[in-house]
Amino acid sequence: MVELIDVTKTYGAPGGAGTVGVLKGITLKVESGRSMVIVGPSGCGKSTLLNIIGGLDRPTSGRVLLDGGNLADRSDDELARIRNRHIGFVFQLHHLLPQCTVLENVLIPTLAERGGRSPRETHARAKDLLARVGLADRLSYRPGELSGGQRQRVAVARALINRPQLLLADEPTGSLDEGTSRSIAELLVELNKDQGVTLIVATHARELAGRIGQVMELSGGVLSDRGRP
Amino acid sequence: MSLGRLVARSLRFYWRTNLAVLLAVVVATGVLTGALAVGDSVRYTLGRTLEARLGKVQFASLPQGRFFRTALAGDLEKQLGGTVAPVLQVSGIVTNDDGSRRINRVQVLGVTDRFYAVGPGGRPLGKDPTEGIILSEAVARRLGVGVGDEIVLRVEKPGLMPREVPLASDKDRTVAARLKVQAIADDAAFGRFDLQANQIAALNVFVPLSWLGERIEQPGRANMLVVAHLKTSFSTREMAAALQKAWRLADAGLELEHLPKQNVLELRSRRVFIDEPLAAEALRAGGGSAGVLTYFVNEVRLGDKATPYSMVAALDGANLADDEIAVNQWLADDLGAKVGDAVDLAYFVIGPERKLREDQGRFKIARVVPLDDPVCDRTLMPAFPGLADVNNCRDWKPGIPVDLDKIRPEDEEYWNEHRGTPKAFISLAAGQARWRNQYGSLTAVRYPWREGLDRQIEQHLLSTIDPATVGLFLQPIRDRGLQASRGGTDFGSLFLGLSMFLIAAAVILTGLLFVFGVENRRSQAGMLMAVGWPARRVRRLLLAEGGLVALFGTVLGVGAGLLYTRLMVYGLATWWSGAIGGTDVHFDARGLTLLLGGLGGLLAALLAIWLTLRRQATCPARPLLAGDAAASLGDIVKAEGPGNGLPRRRLRPGRFGIGIAVAAFVGVAAVLLIAPARGGEALAGAFFGAGALLLIGTLALTGAVLQIVAGSWDRPMTSLQGLGLRSAGRRSGRSLAIAGLLACGVFMVVAVGANRRDPTKETHGRDSGTGGFALYGDASIPILSELGTAPGRDRLGLTEQGLESIRAVQFRVREGDDASCLNLNRAQQPRLMGVRAEALKERGAFKFTATVRQGREEGWGLLQTDLGAGVIPAVGDYPTVFWGLGKNIGDELEYTDEMGRPFRVRIVGMLASSVLQGSLVIAEDEFLARFPSVDGYRVFLIDVPAEKADAATQTLTADLRDYGLLLTPTGERLAAFGSVENTYLSIFMVLGGLGLVLGSMGLGLVVLRNMLERRGELAMLRAVGFGRGRLRRMVFYEHWGLLLAGLACGVISAMVAVMPALQSPGAQVPYLSLATMVGGIALSGAVWVWLAGTLALQGRLLDALRHE
Repeated sequence: MVELIDVTKTYGAPGGAGTVGVLKGITLKVESGRSMVIVGPSGCGKSTLLNIIGGLDRPTSGRVLLDGGNLADRSDDELARIRNRHIGFVFQLHHLLPQCTVLENVLIPTLAERGGRSPRETHARAKDLLARVGLADRLSYRPGELSGGQRQRVAVARALINRPQLLLADEPTGSLDEGTSRSIAELLVELNKDQGVTLIVATHARELAGRIGQVMELSGGVLSDRGRP
Repeated sequence: MSLGRLVARSLRFYWRTNLAVLLAVVVATGVLTGALAVGDSVRYTLGRTLEARLGKVQFASLPQGRFFRTALAGDLEKQLGGTVAPVLQVSGIVTNDDGSRRINRVQVLGVTDRFYAVGPGGRPLGKDPTEGIILSEAVARRLGVGVGDEIVLRVEKPGLMPREVPLASDKDRTVAARLKVQAIADDAAFGRFDLQANQIAALNVFVPLSWLGERIEQPGRANMLVVAHLKTSFSTREMAAALQKAWRLADAGLELEHLPKQNVLELRSRRVFIDEPLAAEALRAGGGSAGVLTYFVNEVRLGDKATPYSMVAALDGANLADDEIAVNQWLADDLGAKVGDAVDLAYFVIGPERKLREDQGRFKIARVVPLDDPVCDRTLMPAFPGLADVNNCRDWKPGIPVDLDKIRPEDEEYWNEHRGTPKAFISLAAGQARWRNQYGSLTAVRYPWREGLDRQIEQHLLSTIDPATVGLFLQPIRDRGLQASRGGTDFGSLFLGLSMFLIAAAVILTGLLFVFGVENRRSQAGMLMAVGWPARRVRRLLLAEGGLVALFGTVLGVGAGLLYTRLMVYGLATWWSGAIGGTDVHFDARGLTLLLGGLGGLLAALLAIWLTLRRQATCPARPLLAGDAAASLGDIVKAEGPGNGLPRRRLRPGRFGIGIAVAAFVGVAAVLLIAPARGGEALAGAFFGAGALLLIGTLALTGAVLQIVAGSWDRPMTSLQGLGLRSAGRRSGRSLAIAGLLACGVFMVVAVGANRRDPTKETHGRDSGTGGFALYGDASIPILSELGTAPGRDRLGLTEQGLESIRAVQFRVREGDDASCLNLNRAQQPRLMGVRAEALKERGAFKFTATVRQGREEGWGLLQTDLGAGVIPAVGDYPTVFWGLGKNIGDELEYTDEMGRPFRVRIVGMLASSVLQGSLVIAEDEFLARFPSVDGYRVFLIDVPAEKADAATQTLTADLRDYGLLLTPTGERLAAFGSVENTYLSIFMVLGGLGLVLGSMGLGLVVLRNMLERRGELAMLRAVGFGRGRLRRMVFYEHWGLLLAGLACGVISAMVAVMPALQSPGAQVPYLSLATMVGGIALSGAVWVWLAGTLALQGRLLDALRHE
């Protein structure tokens, strides 16, 4: 499903003096339907790695293969299409549109391209997903009327609307309280199991890491397997 | 959910931001549309005025100092079809019943009902318009009279021949009558009739043509034809051909008479002298023709014996040598002369500038003829007015000084018995050599009589003489009027040009407000891109939102534009009426103008939105999502560095801005070098071109400096000011926008302020706009004498004490379009004034700012330059030449003289703004050569000691009231012209003020926004120990730097851009008030910054705003 081969990422050092390596030769393979959590201290490059996997960022060197195709070879437009069709994102900040209802927020990814599936079908799926995340009775609410956990659930539903094969979650519980974090973690695990979505989560929350399959640790730009919890 | 719905939701959710953008678009579109519609309104007004003053008139023959049969109108009508109306137009003075109100320079029009048929209403007034007097509304208003009131009308009484011709009587110059006002003529009743292109209502009074003809002793005659209702279009040439077929000899003032006793057919002129071209043709018209020139001589002297005041005839075929004379027996007896004696003739001739000069000639008596010889023919004396029509020679009133005491009883006896029978005869050549003048060299042509000869001669003359030579030619008045109204001051462009910066300010504000909205939603954009929206689709979404706001704003803006136009029109009618001479501007807005204004506003708004979006939405999704909503694109670019898929900087920071600045400065230099060589609109173009380029250049430079400061991370800043500067550089685009807004407003205010002038200052010097003269005089009836000389004053009966010290420079006037700044039309043929150039030259009057021969001190002497046949030199003042005519030194204007011959007037010199505004000045002799029928002087520049000016004004006004002499202090006249310019400037200052309001608003907005975005940064600074006051100061330094940059850009651009105007004559830059104004702007800006900073630093307010 996803394979990273010798991926590196460097940034220019402040003042222009040389470069700083964030990812140093990351090689990783995640099979379809599997789940993985990437842990590591703050600033170690977890988000960068996730962004590279999701096509939001490009590696300095190395290859990122999604279903065998190298993302590094794709144009920005192609990457956008791939993200829209194959990848779902959940961010620490939910980035919901305050001007739209819960249902509309979930439907936002379906507007990325002209045409596509029928509105009836996508509406039904959005409602299903919102029911799945426990928000069936909040369809016409605005983000401002929801709690933090509810908002994040909407974001999860939004990530799944286009039936992605890969769900990337970057600190999805980072700004939530413990109870809410737990419920989100359960939701992600369930989705992984029930819907066969490949799940990669970047987090430094131990409890969340403990609920998800394989644990990889990123430290010093190098990824190492910590096995299963 | 659809894209449209998402857009709708967003529009509603972010309504505050959208409302702000919408208002900015409304302002931009409103000002743009309004400016264009002001142009429509003025054009419409000029068009309406054209209809009101010309009615249906298409062609007209203008008064040329000659009179023709009123029946010519009917004869011409037969040739042309349509309607031809005869008009008798003279100048007049009108006073109300008790004499408390008086109007000089009234146009008195003798009309028939045909005249009203060619008017705009196509109908006469309710009552019979051929009885009583009808006043135009303008006259009635100024006199304060209504229907049924009595008024006193004094009209000019033109002579049969020009009043200044020797022997033309200058008595009975005017005639007065008390009349009852029968009606007030509004526009529909042709009350504004005027053949001159001017939007200011003419002062007209209408009387029956027959009545006026009787009163001024021109019965059955007219001096103007107006042609209307032509079925087909006629060219000027076709009109001339029709006139050629219709005219009769009487229309040229000629008459043929069979004198049975002499057995000759005589051709003579009502004007005494037969015009040269007519005389030449008349001599060719029949076999045996003989020219006659009979002249009035002051004295025939032989030794100590003299005979006063006699007629002497110069005859063709007199069989006399040029130095020989034949005397009649009576004269021979009176002088005791015999054949072989030499007699001296003394006579007046016209010297330069039509001054009478007594000349003498010596002749040897070749023979003495008895009184019963056929040659002693009393019909040889032409009908000299004041001579031919009196019984007693003591009643003579010739137009020359006659000492009646010299007339002896025997002279009276001769007159009683023989009347004007010539007492002596010389050869025609000798007579013409002495007495030829510009009005002719023959007083009659005689042909040996035979039956049918009169018809033959008449036919020959009518077919061979061009009626134009006697002033009969039809001019395409309507076409010329249209040309004048279309070519006139384009208020649309004027308002648009000077609103441009206001519009730009509104557009910048649109972009600024829009980008704030977009920046608020950066993470949204990032999320959309993260979920697979291509960047351009995100852009389209935001563009669609912005576009809808812009579209709605445009629609509202067009409505606002109409209100703006109404406000401007109201302003022009009230506060700024001085700018257009009190003309009523009527509101008008064309559909196309509204469409263009709306489209312009929409495009400008869309462009601003697109440019800001393009910049914002080129940022990739990940940084947008990074959560730092406050981070600017610049921050991200710097943080990410190269190789990260972001737009790469190819140039070092600031290089691009410096490049633009250099290019702009080169452009400015080029424009300013070229501009002074051109005039009028080219200069105005230079103003805007140079201004715009400089603004671009200085702002680009400011942007470059900001970028350089922002990029110089290796140099740590060590002060609060440095921190402020660094902060300003962080958002260089936004900072630049705000500096640009302020620069626009300041540019406007300074540029306009620099054009202001105070014409009333320095009015005493010879090189000032008054020419050093104390009074400007304008007479309704031409004055023939010189006001500045004792004999001249004596002739006018001015004998009061206190007038000895006055000196005057007098101008002959050929009426034409007013080319002053009071006329909104483009003057086609401005008024010409003839002056004796030496009179001005020896006084060094007025200041020449440009001449055809730069650097050579020739001044008024240029009027005597020989420019070749058909071209005469002229001088005008700067506002007349540049603005009134749109001309420059060396340019020419086409004119037609009173004989229909075209000639060109070349502008050889330009004066600083002066009391001569509105006219072109030419040399008097050139004037007389072109307009010999124009009598006397109508404009006077009078030198009188300041302490005697009031007394002189009172005396002259009272004593010359029959001439309608209006005396104005020159300073007052200059101030009146100056107030026009200054009123324009006031209008534009208002627009500049609006620009500044927008600029200040923008500044306040940017301060607030910046502070809100950097709340975290400010909180951190507070945490590390910054006091609230210190933070406020930091904010102040940052934004005050922007304010200063804006002010500097605006001031520098304006000062350089108005350089051509500064070099123009009379420019008096009020540096102190400008400095005060700019200081005021700086202060108000500082207050805005302080206020906005203080507000922004208040926590609760901050929170509230952040969520919007």
